Amino acid sequence: MTTLLESRYRAVLRLLPAYYRREREEEMVEVYLWDVDRDTQDQSRPTVGEVASIAALAVRTRLGAAGAPRRYALLGAAVRHFALFAVLLQAAAAVVDRALEVTWAGTHGWDMFLSGFTGRGAGLGGVAVAQWVLPLLWTGGWFALFRERRGLARVCVLVAALPTLWPVVAPLVTDAVPPDPAYATASLVLAWLSAFGVCAAFHRDAPAVVLPAGTPGLWHLACCVVMGASVVLVPTSADAVWAPATGFLACALGWLLWRARSSGQGGAGTLALAFLGLLVLALRVAALVPWLDVSVPGVVVAGFVGQAVAVALLTVALAVVGGRDLAAR
Amino acid sequence: MTQAAFFVLTALADQPRHGYGILREIEELSDGEVQLRVGTLYGVLDRLTADGLIALDREEVQQGRLRRYYRLTDEGVRALGAEAQRMAAGADAARRRLAEGRHAPGPGLAGGLA
Repeated sequence: MTTLLESRYRAVLRLLPAYYRREREEEMVEVYLWDVDRDTQDQSRPTVGEVASIAALAVRTRLGAAGAPRRYALLGAAVRHFALFAVLLQAAAAVVDRALEVTWAGTHGWDMFLSGFTGRGAGLGGVAVAQWVLPLLWTGGWFALFRERRGLARVCVLVAALPTLWPVVAPLVTDAVPPDPAYATASLVLAWLSAFGVCAAFHRDAPAVVLPAGTPGLWHLACCVVMGASVVLVPTSADAVWAPATGFLACALGWLLWRARSSGQGGAGTLALAFLGLLVLALRVAALVPWLDVSVPGVVVAGFVGQAVAVALLTVALAVVGGRDLAAR
Repeated sequence: MTQAAFFVLTALADQPRHGYGILREIEELSDGEVQLRVGTLYGVLDRLTADGLIALDREEVQQGRLRRYYRLTDEGVRALGAEAQRMAAGADAARRRLAEGRHAPGPGLAGGLA
């Protein structure tokens, strides 16, 4: 007869995907119940640590652990690609933003730059410094992933994502004006999905990160150059999303070209980019809407709208191409 | 090689064992320092099997429950031997440094002038 403890362990094991339970459930239940006295089994429960270890195994087995079926292997590859592209985009955006800010301060005087951190008390000044510095850790996360320092990469991206929480928290603890909810939510979702993607998909069993061409440094540099150039060339149209959206367009076009030359490889990566495109599109639209109520030159709004349309078209193209590639295999 | 993988391979070095046997053997080998959770153990078993370092030895059904025994493969024996040698070399180096440090006349340049 099944005891209550056995039922509880089986309930926890339901966190695992069906293919894994078919293979391992009976064996794992045997290990769990081995030295537990049958008479006391109804008073026991799985410990928090046991549940956590099964939850971690459930994530790994769903995201392409050793011996996983094709669909889980594809899911793992897609989440890893998404996390990589998203981290690269945010890493380059943070570097470009700060490099341009410092360059501007260097030529126009440092007073305005420094006023962003001073004159509002130590606490808020510290927050402003953290808001400025922490996003640079996206770059640390990007390089840590390629050096197989996955623990370090996780810490970097989780800390780098923290500043996106401040606009939501600030109105609760200070007299700050509540942020535009759509833009704050879109930034928060992009940052935290990227961070959780890195934490979940780059697990111990995940394959090493390999780029289709070039080095991680070259990719980072190329993204920074494209994003920086997009701001320098059209400074009047450059809002907070202009550079990352341009970076996405360049990445997506480059990926589609590579895919065409490599005869349809990388379906998971193509779909991952399509998903990233959706998030970038949400960010672009959220940042665009407030401009519609303000008197700004029509050409500026047209630039934002044009960028949104380009992101949307490329996202659809990526989704169609990626879906076809996967169906063909 | 992770610490968990090293201990699993070591637990299987002398004879095939089942999941619970591996857990208990690891606890004994490490004087209770390493206590693997079941989820962690099976993650390591999956990885070692995929890498060809361990293989299924046999299956038994005891009181209606499945018991699987795992054994080291030849490749697993070689990998464990190499890892043990690497760790022993590291331990030797540490011992040598400690012995040299005790007999050294004073602080070295790096530590002494900092």
